[in-house]
Amino acid sequence: MRATTTTHEYFKNIWDSLATTWGGMRITGKYLMQKPITVQYPDERLPIPDRYRGIHYLEQEKCIDCLACARACPIDCIEMDAIRHGKELEWVLFTLDYQKCMFCELCVYPCPKDCIHMGTEFAFVSYDRSEFNHDLLSYKGMSREARIRKREADIKKAEKAAVKALAAAAAESEAHTESAAAPEPAAATQPEIPEPAETPEPTESSQPEGNEESTEPDEAPATASWEEQGEDSTSDGPTDAAPTDDSPTGGDSTEDDAPPAATDKPVSPF
Amino acid sequence: MSVPVFAMTSGGNAISELLAGIAPEGVPTWALWLTASLMGVSILVAFVSLVAMFSVWLERKVSAHIQCRYGPMYVGGWHGWAQTLADGVKLLLKEDMIPLGADKPLFVLAPALVLGAIFGALVALPLAPGFFFADVHMGLFLILAFSSLTTIGVVMAGWASNSKWSLYGAMREAAQVVAYEIPLGVSLFVPLMVAGTFSLTEASAAQAGWFGMHWFIFLNPFMFPAFIIFFIAALAETKRAPFDLPEAESELVAGFMTEYSGIRWSFFFMEEYAAMFLMSAVGAIFFFGGYHSPLTALFGEDPSGLTYQLVCAGTLIIKSFFGVFLMMWLRWTLPRMRIDQVMTVGYKYLTPLALVCVLGAAVWETIFA
Repeated sequence: MRATTTTHEYFKNIWDSLATTWGGMRITGKYLMQKPITVQYPDERLPIPDRYRGIHYLEQEKCIDCLACARACPIDCIEMDAIRHGKELEWVLFTLDYQKCMFCELCVYPCPKDCIHMGTEFAFVSYDRSEFNHDLLSYKGMSREARIRKREADIKKAEKAAVKALAAAAAESEAHTESAAAPEPAAATQPEIPEPAETPEPTESSQPEGNEESTEPDEAPATASWEEQGEDSTSDGPTDAAPTDDSPTGGDSTEDDAPPAATDKPVSPF
Repeated sequence: MSVPVFAMTSGGNAISELLAGIAPEGVPTWALWLTASLMGVSILVAFVSLVAMFSVWLERKVSAHIQCRYGPMYVGGWHGWAQTLADGVKLLLKEDMIPLGADKPLFVLAPALVLGAIFGALVALPLAPGFFFADVHMGLFLILAFSSLTTIGVVMAGWASNSKWSLYGAMREAAQVVAYEIPLGVSLFVPLMVAGTFSLTEASAAQAGWFGMHWFIFLNPFMFPAFIIFFIAALAETKRAPFDLPEAESELVAGFMTEYSGIRWSFFFMEEYAAMFLMSAVGAIFFFGGYHSPLTALFGEDPSGLTYQLVCAGTLIIKSFFGVFLMMWLRWTLPRMRIDQVMTVGYKYLTPLALVCVLGAAVWETIFA
């Protein structure tokens, strides 16, 4: 401000201060009467965009423990471990350390099964730092379905082994004694093998009294793709696992081999 | 000691009379008088606390809604009405901290002085005819003197804190109050000339009647500019934005309150809101009809009736809180001024304009009244 003020400026200053104050008060008064634009956060939330990069969630049923996400992570905050039983996975851990995670979404793209996603949840509060090493698993160990499948696969394997043993015994008996001794070990081993097949879970998973054609589609859509892709991606399982895996679930997706699968299906509810 | 110090009704010292009525025989007069005094002080403290609590809540709500927010919404249920209560409990429970380098006696005394000064000022404030603590004949003078006394407390706090922020804040407060006491007092001369009295009860009684022509603000063309000057000077007196330089938080952390915490800090806060209420009440009494409104006119002119007194008190409180609301509205509208701008406004604009208003009003009153 200059040292001297003219009379005109003096009164102009007074007028300006009053007028601008009034103008400002009109503006703030308008906002005062307006409805607030904020929301009461924990009670109501603003919509979050679908592609928001929030806390991850894992579709554990689809995950194959391939470590692609962990390898893609630029700061190595994903740790995962699972024990393989043939094609089935027994989950040990799948943790994501949110102390390190920068929500770059790079773990999502390489996933071959499209099973890790970034959710819309952004609030993650805890009283302890260790809780930020967040467990993404919804269950530890094996899922019930996987347990059933493994049980069935084991039965199939045992059956196959029994058949093989039978064949071997037959060949052996053929080699040593021509006719008499051959059916004897077969009759001895055969009742043992289907024994676990009658009691356990297969009767629970599929309807006990129903026919196979009606029970199979019930659980088929969820795991059919897993079965088919699991065969070519994780081919570490034994070769005889393929027909046994198809038998409980993959019946409707591969219609042509369904009848043979149904025939040697160990489910025999009688 | 026969002067009715704590008059709650027009009949005299209501509390003393009540006590004398229920007290057993043989109780000395001085004991009754002391008990009555303590009860009166308790009422005053409760009043100040309630006013401050409501004002803080109102401030938070007004500021929130001006910024399109909600403000406190949870504590107490309805729009967070108990938020200030919770804050007060929190402040009471906080550790009482005194800085090592502080001048301890002065540091402790300063908030008490500030709050005590505002109590002293409120003593002279009548809420209704015959509903006051002391009908001081020089009521306005007493109020202005006591509200200036808060400045002493603020300067004391700033000096005793032994902190540069506090000292700057205190010096600004002193400079500001010296500058704005003049227009504050001079602008009040205008209604004083019309009322012909310093007494707040008499000034209020002079404006009785139906809404309109009896209010001082309409009696004189110089009344409205005088009120504007009074309002601006009151803002500066109560350290409210845009004159909140003593606690300019962007430059001086919290100004004179920097080193204070807990309940001592809340004393300054209570003083600020009580002073806002007091200044608004003084403005309402000397410009806007005091405790008179169409409603009080409806309830008749019997000053001894309790209903009438309650309606009067409610009217004055509503008018005062409208002034408090205006101050809040201004605070959330205008940015803080620079110290040289504050001084310029005080000395170069408000003081001469107030003098012009007084002169004009004097001439007007001589010619027309």
